[in-house]
Amino acid sequence: MSAAAETTTADGNAAKTPAARKERTTLAILLRSPAFLVGAAIVLFWAFCAAFAPYFVPYDPLADDLLNTLAPPSAEHWFGTDQIGRDVFSRVLVGARDILTIAPLATLLGTTVGTAVGLVMGYFGGWVDAIIGRLIEVLLSLPLIIVALMVLVALGPSTPTVVVVVGLVFTPLVARTVRAAVLSERHLDYVPAAAVRGENALHVMFVEILPNIWPPIIVEATVRLGYAIFTIASLSFLGFGVQPPSPDWGLAIAENYGVLVGGFWWTVVPATVATASLVVGVNLVAEGLQRAVAE
Amino acid sequence: MFRAISTLAALRFGRTDVQNHVIDELLAGRLDRRSFLRHGSRVGLSMALMAAAMKTAGLSTIGSALAQSGTPGGTIRVALIAPSGTIDPVTVADQYGLLVLQQVGDFLVLDGPDLVLQPMLATEWSPNEDGTVWTFKLRDDVKFHDGRTMTADDVVASIDRLADPENGSNALSAFKGVLSKGGTKKVDDHTVAFHLDAPNGNFPYYLSSDNYNAIILPADYSGNFEAEMVGTGPFKLERYTPKVGATFVKNPDYWGGEPKLDRVEMSFYADQQPQVLALLGGQVDVVQQVTVQGSQSLFDNPAVKILELRSNAHRQIHMKTQSGPFADKRVRQAMALTLDRERLIQGLFRGMADIGNDSPFAPVFPSTDSTVEQRAKNIEKAKQLMAEAGTSGFDTTFTTMSIQELPALASLIKNAAAEIGINVTLKIEDPGAYYGSAVPGKSDWLDSEFGMTDYGHRGIPNVFLTAPLKSDGTWNAANFQNSEYDKLVEDYVAALDLDAQKDAAGKIQRLLLDETPIIFPYFYNWLTATAPNVAGVQPTAMGQLFLKDATVG
Repeated sequence: MSAAAETTTADGNAAKTPAARKERTTLAILLRSPAFLVGAAIVLFWAFCAAFAPYFVPYDPLADDLLNTLAPPSAEHWFGTDQIGRDVFSRVLVGARDILTIAPLATLLGTTVGTAVGLVMGYFGGWVDAIIGRLIEVLLSLPLIIVALMVLVALGPSTPTVVVVVGLVFTPLVARTVRAAVLSERHLDYVPAAAVRGENALHVMFVEILPNIWPPIIVEATVRLGYAIFTIASLSFLGFGVQPPSPDWGLAIAENYGVLVGGFWWTVVPATVATASLVVGVNLVAEGLQRAVAE
Repeated sequence: MFRAISTLAALRFGRTDVQNHVIDELLAGRLDRRSFLRHGSRVGLSMALMAAAMKTAGLSTIGSALAQSGTPGGTIRVALIAPSGTIDPVTVADQYGLLVLQQVGDFLVLDGPDLVLQPMLATEWSPNEDGTVWTFKLRDDVKFHDGRTMTADDVVASIDRLADPENGSNALSAFKGVLSKGGTKKVDDHTVAFHLDAPNGNFPYYLSSDNYNAIILPADYSGNFEAEMVGTGPFKLERYTPKVGATFVKNPDYWGGEPKLDRVEMSFYADQQPQVLALLGGQVDVVQQVTVQGSQSLFDNPAVKILELRSNAHRQIHMKTQSGPFADKRVRQAMALTLDRERLIQGLFRGMADIGNDSPFAPVFPSTDSTVEQRAKNIEKAKQLMAEAGTSGFDTTFTTMSIQELPALASLIKNAAAEIGINVTLKIEDPGAYYGSAVPGKSDWLDSEFGMTDYGHRGIPNVFLTAPLKSDGTWNAANFQNSEYDKLVEDYVAALDLDAQKDAAGKIQRLLLDETPIIFPYFYNWLTATAPNVAGVQPTAMGQLFLKDATVG
C-alpha cells in the first residue's frame, strides 16, 4: 500500500501526498495497537484453519463412529466426540471454513452494493436521496434476523441464499455510512472540478469520490464482518443457514445443545468459544482500524 | 388328562370357529403365550377364558403388571409438549392432544402394552364368518361425567361421527375403506354391530386406544369439547388453559373403580429440554415421552425411572421407484445394504430399538414372519448391484426434517451412501416445510427423490402397509406401484386367523425386501420418564398414560 502511495507521490500529484503520508502513519498506528494485533492474530488463525485445517486435523470431520458417541475429551479425541461419534476437535477447526467463506462474501456484497447506493444518495442528493433514504429507514426499522429468516423461509435455505440475504440486509447500513462520507466530500473543490471537465456522474462518483472515502468504508466493512459472522451463526443455529453434515459452528451448537443437560458440554463449548473468538477478533481489528483512521 | 379335556370342551362351548381356532393353535403349540393372548383378544376371547386355556395348556397365566403401588391420594404432575390446535376428540391429531382426551374418555377396547387387547367399555366382541361384521357387547354400568348412563346410542353416535368425512375427522386415516358413515348399527341398548366396507381381521384395533380419537362421547355432543370435556374416563376436567396446561380431578363414580390419585396436573412445554430439567428439578413427576437424543442425563440416573415399551414407531427412508437414479431396484437394494443397522441402534438409541428389515413388519407384530432373512450391511454386494445396474454412482439430495435423531441419521446415511459412490447432499427442513400441503407437487415429503419421514406407533401394521406403499396410497412418497403387492395387502388385511396373516405377511416382507421402495432401518422403543416415587403409570406406545392406578410417593 505504501509502495503504491510513493509511486503516486513520484508522479508529482501533490494532492495525494498527504493521503500517502497518512496511510503510512495509519499502518504504524495499527502495528503499535495491541488490540489490533491480538484481533488480527485471532482472525489470521481462523483464516489459516479455514484454508488448511482439512489437511492437518487428526480425523475426518465427517466420519462417524457409532460405537464411540459422546466420548469425553481424551488423548485420542482432544475435544471428545459428538452424538454420532465425530471428532469435535477436527470439526471445530474445519468448521471455520463455512463461516469464513460466507461471512466475508456477504460482507463484500453488502459493502459493494451499499457503497454504490450511498454514493448515488450522497452525490445526487435531493429527491433521490430523500426517497432512498426513507426506504433505508423502513428497512432498518425491521429486525435484521427476522428479515433474513423470512427471506430464507421463502427461498429455502442454501449457502448462496444466505450470502445474498445477509449481504442485502447489510446494504442499507453501509449505504448510510457511505452517504455521510460522500456528503462531506461533495463540496470539496475536486468534485465540481471534475464535473466542469465534463466527466459523467458515474466517473465522478466512482473514480473521483470513492478513492477519497475508503477509510470509513473499510472500517464499516470490518464492523459488518463481525455482525455477519454473528448473524450467519445465528441463522445456522436456527436451521436456516449451512446444512448438515457441515461442521459449521452455528450448526454444531444447534445439533448438540439438546445434550448439554446431560453434561456433554464438549459438544457445544468449542464451537461457541470459536464463534465468540472470531467475532471478538474481527471487532478488535475493526476498532483498531477505526482509531487509526480517526487519528 | 380327562379333566383337561373336559375343561377345554367347556371353554370351547359357544365360541365361534375363529375363536376356537385360536385355542386349537395354542394347544397345538403353534402359538406362544404372548401371541395367544394377542390373537385371542383380537377375536374376542375374554381374559378369564384365555387364562383358563393357558392353564390347561400348561402355560403361566397373565401376570398383574400393576401389582406395585404406593400411597393413594395426592396429585401427579405430568409434562408434555403443548397440543397443537384445539382439543376436540374428532380432530386431535398429535400425541399431546390425545393424552388429554384419554384422561377424560374411554375406548371400547384398550390396546395394552403387549399389543394385547383388553376390554374397556366393551366387554366382548366377535366377528362373523368372513370378518365383515363385528359385534361388540357394552358394559351396562358406565356413567358419563354429567351423570347420564352410556348406551349403544352414544357408541353409535361417537363412532359414526368419526367415520363421517364431513367432520374433518382425524380417525378417517384409519376408518377410510374400513368403516363408513352408517356402518355402525345399534343392535340393542348394550350391543353394537359394525358393518365393514371390506373384510378385516383386525377390526377391534380400530376401536381401541390405537385409534386415539375413538373415545366414547354422549350422543348429543356438539363441539366445544374444551369447555367441559364430558366423557366416561377416570378423571374429570377441572380447568383447561390452552398452551398452558390442564387439571383434572378423580371421577369417584368411575366404572373401573375409584382412581387412586386425587388430581392430575398437566403442564405444557415447548420442547423436550425444559421437561427433562423440570423432572430433574422435581417440578413434574412424569414426562410423557423422552427421546434418547437429548435426555441422556436421565439414563443411568437413580433419581429417574424410565418406562420402556417396545413399539413400531419408525423412520421410513423412501426412494422414488418410477424415475430418477433409484428407479432400478438394484440401486435401492444397494443403498439399503450400506446401513449398519445394529450400530445405528447402538449409537442412536443405546440399543433401545428393534432392527428393521425394510418392511413395516416390526418384530413386535405377532403376524411378522421372523423367518425372512435379515438384511445386513454388505458393501461388496452393494457395489456389485450398482455395477449390475450400470452405475458407478450419482449425485442426489436427501430431504428430511430437523426433529429428534433425523438430522443425525441423515448425516450417517450420507456417509454410508458415499461408500458406494452415491454423493448425497442433505436438505434438512422444519416439519412444516417438509410436509408442505401433503399432496404431490406441493410437498417436499412426497416430491423428494430420496427422503425420510417419521411414523408413530400403531397397534397393527395396516396403515403402514397401505398409505405409504399401495399404488393408490396417499402417503406414497416412493411412488411404489406394484399390483402383486396391492393384492397381498388386501389378503393380509382380510385374513382372520394368524396363520393366514403370517402367510401373507411373509410374502409381503419378501416382496418389499426385493423391491426396497422404502428402507426401514429400525423401530425404536417408547420411553416415558417418571420420578422414582411414582408407581402404577401405564403408558402405551401411542402416547397414552393410564393413570387410574398410579400413585405418587
